[in-house]
Amino acid sequence: MHEVSIAQSLLDVAVENCRTNGFSTIKHVRVLIGKASGVMPEALLFAFDSLKEDTIARKADLEIVEVPLRGECRECGKSFETEERYVLSCPHCGSVEYTLSSGRELTVADLEVE
Amino acid sequence: MKLKVTTNILTANEKIAEGNRALFDDAGVFVLNLMSSPGAGKTTLLEETIKRLKDRIRVGVIEGDIAGTDDAMRIDALKVPVVQINTGGACHLDANMISEVLEDIPYRELDLLVIENVGNLVCPAEFKLGEHMKAAVLSITEGHDKPLKYPIMFQESSALVINKMDLKPFLDVDVEKIKRDVLSLNPGCVIFEVSCKTGEGLDAWIAWLQTTIS
Repeated sequence: MHEVSIAQSLLDVAVENCRTNGFSTIKHVRVLIGKASGVMPEALLFAFDSLKEDTIARKADLEIVEVPLRGECRECGKSFETEERYVLSCPHCGSVEYTLSSGRELTVADLEVE
Repeated sequence: MKLKVTTNILTANEKIAEGNRALFDDAGVFVLNLMSSPGAGKTTLLEETIKRLKDRIRVGVIEGDIAGTDDAMRIDALKVPVVQINTGGACHLDANMISEVLEDIPYRELDLLVIENVGNLVCPAEFKLGEHMKAAVLSITEGHDKPLKYPIMFQESSALVINKMDLKPFLDVDVEKIKRDVLSLNPGCVIFEVSCKTGEGLDAWIAWLQTTIS
């Protein structure tokens, strides 16, 4: 639902990085989107394509890399990974004493510029 | 050529949120970001909270809505400082919107500033405003499946107020499941069962809030 705000911020980050490094056109943007970030990739692509028109990213493709939810249990020490959007307990031992290490990313990873 | 960036997309918002937070810390005001679906009872909870606290502490409110001033008028009737933000379509408040209205609210003279976010279970949870704490309201008429359907809001909130408990006899809702799921998502969350209509359970919420902000 808030993908337009996210797409705008993403474009701002990309444009600023492109300009600061002395380039004038963005050809490709790769972002990492965590499965548990609440962002819908399809909606983000749509918003990005609508917003890029009058910017130096108008020819850019957006590549979305989805990052699964990963964590480690503090009780049994094992790590886990899931395709779900949330974890209720450690899938190995059922403990709720776990730490999540990925899945909430909203990151611009890199750009292809010229 | 390829350019490595590795920048959080929400960095711009988070920088402004940090700026807001620094102002709040400097002023010694505790800021609460209150979130829920539309109609869960955020404004009513706020009215009941203000009535019980305003003789003891100085409270102010920033109201966030897509349009209208109904909520701000309800708070204004309680004679506490209030400012209304109309997002004009945006489904959440962001740090910049808060920063822009800070000169309209005397936050330096307050002990507690509540930011009532736009009614929405999804987006408000993603945007930091500079608050010290997030709290969520869930009314039992919304059903017990909501925490697992909208996990981020419940993971981010330090407290959950389950509202409209007076309607429990008329509903098939499983309140224990709500509590169980929220505590699984967020083991540290403090949960209150209240009815803003009858006043049931509000004392515990008020006592906790007062301890938390002092």
